[in-house]
Amino acid sequence: MPLDYVHDTQAVFRKVMDGMAQPGKTNSLAKQMIQIDHPIDCYHSTFLTMVTLLDSEATFHIKGNHTSLVQRISQLTLAKHVEESEADFIIITADLPQAGLISAIQSAKKGSLIDPQLSATIIIETPELSSGQEWLLKGPGIKKVKRLKLAYSQTINQAREEKNQEFPLGIDIVITDQVGKLVCLPRTTVISEVSK
Amino acid sequence: MTRLHHFAFFDEGSKKEIRRTILKAISIPGYQVPFSSREMPIARGWGTGGLQVTLSIIGKDDVLKVIDQGSDESVNAVNIKKLVEKTTGIAITEGTAEATIIQSRHRIPEQPLTEGQVLVLQVPAPEPLRSVEKSERQTKILHAEEEYSGAWLQLFEQIMKYGQTKTGADHPVYVADRYVMAPSPIPRFDNHKMNHSEALILLGAGREKKIYAVPPYTDVRSLAFEDYPFTVESFAEQACHLCGSTDTFLDEIIDADKDKVYYQCNDSHHCLAQVNGAIQGKGDISYA
Repeated sequence: MPLDYVHDTQAVFRKVMDGMAQPGKTNSLAKQMIQIDHPIDCYHSTFLTMVTLLDSEATFHIKGNHTSLVQRISQLTLAKHVEESEADFIIITADLPQAGLISAIQSAKKGSLIDPQLSATIIIETPELSSGQEWLLKGPGIKKVKRLKLAYSQTINQAREEKNQEFPLGIDIVITDQVGKLVCLPRTTVISEVSK
Repeated sequence: MTRLHHFAFFDEGSKKEIRRTILKAISIPGYQVPFSSREMPIARGWGTGGLQVTLSIIGKDDVLKVIDQGSDESVNAVNIKKLVEKTTGIAITEGTAEATIIQSRHRIPEQPLTEGQVLVLQVPAPEPLRSVEKSERQTKILHAEEEYSGAWLQLFEQIMKYGQTKTGADHPVYVADRYVMAPSPIPRFDNHKMNHSEALILLGAGREKKIYAVPPYTDVRSLAFEDYPFTVESFAEQACHLCGSTDTFLDEIIDADKDKVYYQCNDSHHCLAQVNGAIQGKGDISYA
């Protein structure tokens, strides 16, 4: 059965909403992923998140050389592909080196104090969520603390912290993986290393 | 069955815009995110904000409860339920625990909400500073600068005039130590239910075109002074005349003919559940 753009995107949205409301919680898009019946040049979970959130009123930027993917997403959603610094959604595919992610975080728009909602959401692909170093998450949406395993480096964390240092300004992050898992890290979440 | 409406009434473009707004609202707790509020088949002021949020998030597997002033059966609640049911075909409930989405006007249910549930509150006036500053441009600057003297002064003036704060409902709250927020016209009695709520709270103001949110497990403090602490409505140790509850928000009902005052739970479902529970507790009752 092909992807149902009404009901499947609704289900995906609820997973993203639940993830944003409870940072660090892992949700799965596996059920919707199997509906995708055409090849696509990114993780299916990333594709689902894009078609759920993008339309002609939103802008996006896919970092790296992904001409066919950009074209495909533009055709499907009517969203405009713009420069990284202007995009509402920035997509970092798994093949991009870490430096690309850091430069995306640095150049993403973070809103203004009067309109903090005019900030970017970065969708980051990682091969497998819940693997890698363990991190401590704190902030609204988290009961006390949450532990999350994530292939995430201290350098990335620093770039994110710098971007989010003046709340309400900042960026929100959605992390997707190959098997359809999804984790959100809104700007309010404070991430620190688990002390050894 | 012939489908007369698109699922959940809205076109997909409207849903997407509201969904993006909701995500921003969650990531900036207490901040009123502007959105292009749609014309709805109910009048503005009758819950169009809440309804737009509900229609944008609802799916086939959801179970919806709608209450108005604590009641599942008042005009506003019934009509909103009918509209959502007709355009989605989803299940409607009166049970607080069974609902995945609870849309409410003026109350947070007595029964504590749980993780995974979403409470959608209808908001007539989302701006807590509006009575001290008429200009939207100015209130946005005040929020940007975290300049909330106006909100504090309002409470201070009430104390000077009446010896206590006199906010009937909609007593302002501080969310995550950053934004002062109007919790919608819930009684002060309900304010504490927002603090570290297990459920996500979404607030929609249709006429004012704003959506804002309180994520679960978020600090929500009612504005108060050290020497004039926050107090909730007191019912002078009265009990509900139907179920006997003493720890719920009670309505005062005056019977003019008999010149008598009754107290009754405002949350109709909770009251009924208490009454039913009490009956079941008595074991087999013969009605013969």
